[in-house]
Amino acid sequence: MGGFFESLGDLFRALFEVFTSATMYGSAVRLGALLAFAAIGEMVAEKAGTINISVEGSLLAGAFTGTLAYHQTGSTALGLLAGVAGGLIISWIQANMSHRLTADQFVVGLTANVLVLGVAGFLNGVIDPKAASAGILEIPLLSDIPLIGPALFGQRWPLYLLYPIIPLTWWLLYRTRWGLEVRAVGENPQAADVSGIDVNKRRRQSIYYGGILAGLGGAFIVLGPIGSFETGIIGGRGFIAIAAVYFGGWRLGGVVLGSFLFGLADGFRLALPSVIANVDPPLEGAMIDGLSNASFLAALPYVLTLLVMYLITKEFRQPAALSQPFIRGLR
Amino acid sequence: MPAEHSGDAPVLQLREMTKRYGEVVACDHVDLDLHRGEIHGILGENGAGKSTLMKMVIGLALPDAGTIRLDGEAVRLHDPVQAARHGIGMVHQHYSLVGALTVWENVALGEKGALDPGSTRDRVVEITERYGLEVDPDAYVRDLTAGVRQRVEIIKCLRHEPRIIILDEPTAVLTPAESEHLFEVLGEGVRREGWAVALVSHKLDEVLAATDRITIMRNGLVVDRVATADADAHSLAREMVGREVTLRTGAAAIGSVEAPAAAAGEAAEVKGEPILEVRDAATRAADGRVLLDGLSLEVHPGEVVGVAGVEGNGQTPLVRVLESLLRLETGSVRVDGEEIPTCRAGAMGAAGIAVIPADRHHSGCVPDMTVAENLVLGSVDRFAEWGLLKREDIKAHARVLIEEFDIHCPSCDTPLGQLSGGNQQRVVLAQALSVGPKVLVAHQPTRGLDVGAIEYIGGRITAAAESGIGVLLLSTDLGEIAALSDRIVVIYEGRIIGEMSRAEFDMERLGLLIGGSTAGEDAA
Amino acid sequence: MTARTDTLLDPRVRSGLEMAGLYVLSLAGALLLSGLLVAATGNSAFKVFGALLDGAFLAPGRWGQTLVVAAPMLLVALGMVVGVKAGFFNIGQEGQLLIGAMAMAWVGTRWPGPGPLLLFVGLALSMAFGGGWAGLAALMRFRRGVPEVISTLLLVFVAAQFSGYAITADWLLRDLDTTGPTRSVSSAPLDEAIRLPVLRIFGNEFNWGIVIALALAVLLAVALVRSVWGFRLRMLGHNPAVAQKAGVASTRMGSLALFLSGGLAGLAGAVMLAGGSSGFRVTSGFSQNFGWQGLLVALLARSSPILAIPMAIVFAALRTGSGFLAATGVDRKIVDVVQALLVLALLIPPAVQFIRDRRKALAMAGEEA
Repeated sequence: MGGFFESLGDLFRALFEVFTSATMYGSAVRLGALLAFAAIGEMVAEKAGTINISVEGSLLAGAFTGTLAYHQTGSTALGLLAGVAGGLIISWIQANMSHRLTADQFVVGLTANVLVLGVAGFLNGVIDPKAASAGILEIPLLSDIPLIGPALFGQRWPLYLLYPIIPLTWWLLYRTRWGLEVRAVGENPQAADVSGIDVNKRRRQSIYYGGILAGLGGAFIVLGPIGSFETGIIGGRGFIAIAAVYFGGWRLGGVVLGSFLFGLADGFRLALPSVIANVDPPLEGAMIDGLSNASFLAALPYVLTLLVMYLITKEFRQPAALSQPFIRGLR
Repeated sequence: MPAEHSGDAPVLQLREMTKRYGEVVACDHVDLDLHRGEIHGILGENGAGKSTLMKMVIGLALPDAGTIRLDGEAVRLHDPVQAARHGIGMVHQHYSLVGALTVWENVALGEKGALDPGSTRDRVVEITERYGLEVDPDAYVRDLTAGVRQRVEIIKCLRHEPRIIILDEPTAVLTPAESEHLFEVLGEGVRREGWAVALVSHKLDEVLAATDRITIMRNGLVVDRVATADADAHSLAREMVGREVTLRTGAAAIGSVEAPAAAAGEAAEVKGEPILEVRDAATRAADGRVLLDGLSLEVHPGEVVGVAGVEGNGQTPLVRVLESLLRLETGSVRVDGEEIPTCRAGAMGAAGIAVIPADRHHSGCVPDMTVAENLVLGSVDRFAEWGLLKREDIKAHARVLIEEFDIHCPSCDTPLGQLSGGNQQRVVLAQALSVGPKVLVAHQPTRGLDVGAIEYIGGRITAAAESGIGVLLLSTDLGEIAALSDRIVVIYEGRIIGEMSRAEFDMERLGLLIGGSTAGEDAA
Repeated sequence: MTARTDTLLDPRVRSGLEMAGLYVLSLAGALLLSGLLVAATGNSAFKVFGALLDGAFLAPGRWGQTLVVAAPMLLVALGMVVGVKAGFFNIGQEGQLLIGAMAMAWVGTRWPGPGPLLLFVGLALSMAFGGGWAGLAALMRFRRGVPEVISTLLLVFVAAQFSGYAITADWLLRDLDTTGPTRSVSSAPLDEAIRLPVLRIFGNEFNWGIVIALALAVLLAVALVRSVWGFRLRMLGHNPAVAQKAGVASTRMGSLALFLSGGLAGLAGAVMLAGGSSGFRVTSGFSQNFGWQGLLVALLARSSPILAIPMAIVFAALRTGSGFLAATGVDRKIVDVVQALLVLALLIPPAVQFIRDRRKALAMAGEEA
């Protein structure tokens, strides 16, 4: 019994160490930012009525085209721009197949994801492009805040692109005519149609917006924190981003919060082994072994996401026409 | 107001307007002149082509042929925004508002240029004050009643200072008092600002009361033009339908409420125990809105109980409860004295309640399945052996019903979605009646149908009651309610607030009641 | 003469011809794009095609191999079909397949008993576990309204990590044999008696997996069209409100559909394992994207169990054919690209037809009211 409590104590000590380590918050913000790029764009697409599961493909496409462009030019800025283009290509397929040809949006999204995986895998093998991380930019004063200061404001510079995107998206959605129309087509496409709004055009555009942000996010993760490309680099985080949109209840603040919360789970997973290894006196025991098991840790973000979705999903809050295609005259 | 405008030039002139949808000619060389300072009624039954004509004027549909002239100048209109710039505005039935947006956002919807919340709000307030259309610009539309939503529609239209205003069946969701107010506002605008108003309607009474001239359409053609002063209900009805209309059933279709009073006195005698009994039914939506608020009603075998009321006062939730689609929080539903659990799959159907829902695509039929399959939706077990379908029996059953209900379809294996709306509705009706129900619930069973179909369905409902079925008829169309019901109850905000038998039918009192006014109801 | 022209231009015949033309065009477009991609890397698209054909059918013993690969793909596709027909988009087959394979491995390596019985129990349990895994998504859907599209996807990643853990844990699946120089990180291989029996025809070998899959395809096709169960399932898929009204509870029927959907994917995993995949062991990366590809098969087959059979063979052929690509110098991943492009291409013609039908229906309704 004593062993058990000792072990429990060690477990808490380990958790404490991790949650007070700057390493964890650093990775949490990086991974949260990746999710936030994707989730913010996804939220806009969902506001207009599409569950855009090709966001996963857009992330990967952006990561790959970003890597390619960096490989060719050595410029991080051009790499990010190419990432945007890559994400846009996938969202173009999604948007036009589902909101011009009226193919099922999930079928298209799923296939687009497989397509990206295939093309990126194939070309990566042929070209083997090399990337590198951009430089760290410490923002004066802000980065001196303890614990979260370095995490939020002491990062490689591509991450900072996220910060202006948040208010920009808010402004687009709530202060422009485009945003008003996007919200209208996701809530009541028939009404928007009789008001003279091209419903499917707005839906396509909102998916493009999602593709741009996801592409940027994909390029960011390669050219920011990671510095190299592999086909598993996104590994389902697009789907977690969709979950973050649900978590946020289709409100920008909530979606960003959800992204960083899920990012925290990812950061925890990454930081835990090294933090535990460096604790003095050393930690050990079955619980610590279990906690630092690689598979358990890798599954953690997904399990947590599922758990959170189970706890917070409320259907009536979603855009009323979410995932319903619009065809004129069809009610 | 002169009946003929031979002198002054029309502000809107339509010539040879033609629109085809596949092989159907919705509008066939239609001419129409609209003058400044007049209210022009465009009368026709559903499917006559009047909505299509107006859609072309507002830019929602492109004409295949024909010209539109505004003040003598030919224009091409391809979207509502452009039409608005030409001074044409439309007040839609009820599809054009987005509940999740505020009033001012809805008003701004469909315009061009930068979004300016401040000035849009100011403009809304200005219009509400000028025309006496009270509404809060920051309220969410989903929280407003049907009447107030209509005001928002009108504000949305007036914001562009239109010269030409088109109203599409504007009173469908209004109480009589609200309708009267609407026509006052319109009359005022016509007098003061010289508007030209086109009033699209299938209701004779309202067209007769509110317009200066009337154009009557049938099957895509203009069949007559008359000055309202020279018109009477009977001849209009004949022109509109193309034959004499029997008033008992036809009254519903043409919106004339003279008829039922004349037919009063032939009410069926209520006998014995109720077959359907709803007691203190209450429930709320997921977001907490009250849907039903202690609603009670009874239907006896052989009687038609009409539930009158303005749309959105609990009709749909009540029907959903009777379809096993919605759970009651408190209260009960009994059939033949036996309590039926709510929201248990198939329970209401098994107890003998057959339902024709208002939106057949929501819960009435499956367009992707065949006609034969749709006819056994609720009774497939009767056509099976060892868990396998007896497909020949299903087809034979379908052929009998197709014959009996005069359903026009290429074959019983045709997907239902390929049938016309009227025939789809006949399939829904046939399916409901073929299971041998004790109670038939019909919610807006004739909405969107032509007069022939309306008469037919009205006749079927009456026949069903005569055969001993208890019928619950829910409609926003007082004419339909009055024509078919033996007893009328009024639904308001999720409760029944008044009742009258056929003998004591009183249109004025009914009008007051559906507006929620229970003044002087202590007797009831 | 005019009468003859009329019959020739019968609208149904004409639209049928147009559809066929559209399909040909779309497919040609997809193949052209794939060819361009190959050409861009400096290789010959024709050589690639030849190698694929050799690897899939022509070389000795290859078509048997193609059938072996086709079996799990077909099973996964059937699972997808059951879900889609009921209106549920279970796209987590990759995970359910892994769970099924693990169940098979567990029974096969840890349970006592005679081989054939264990094989049977293993297959049954793989269905139950695969179904249970999809059942988690059903639970989330029906209790909380979490869309199964998202939950099934996320569960793929959990399943992958869980299998990764299971093959390192002695108490679960890890091979307990410590006699070799290094301990393998995988489950123990299935005993001879627990493997699917092999058939030999014309020098080609394949196991009973394809027979099971074909039988289930036919059974499902018949059940969907002919049985009351199938009728109710389709009713639910087309219109849940009508189904509820008619006595089909979406919670029960939908859960059953998702369970079956996952169960078939689980069975696919067991068939892979007992059919010799990865040397009869669950290893890391055991699923080899069979779940994803089976999904695409179902999409290509437009949710028809019978059409899924040739589609599964086409996809299996691309896969076995890709084994011969090394000689041409083209990475076998090109096959993934071809598959996705094929699916995208085949989405186009039905979409065009749908729009056309819609117009027709609108015309009949006169677009009034």
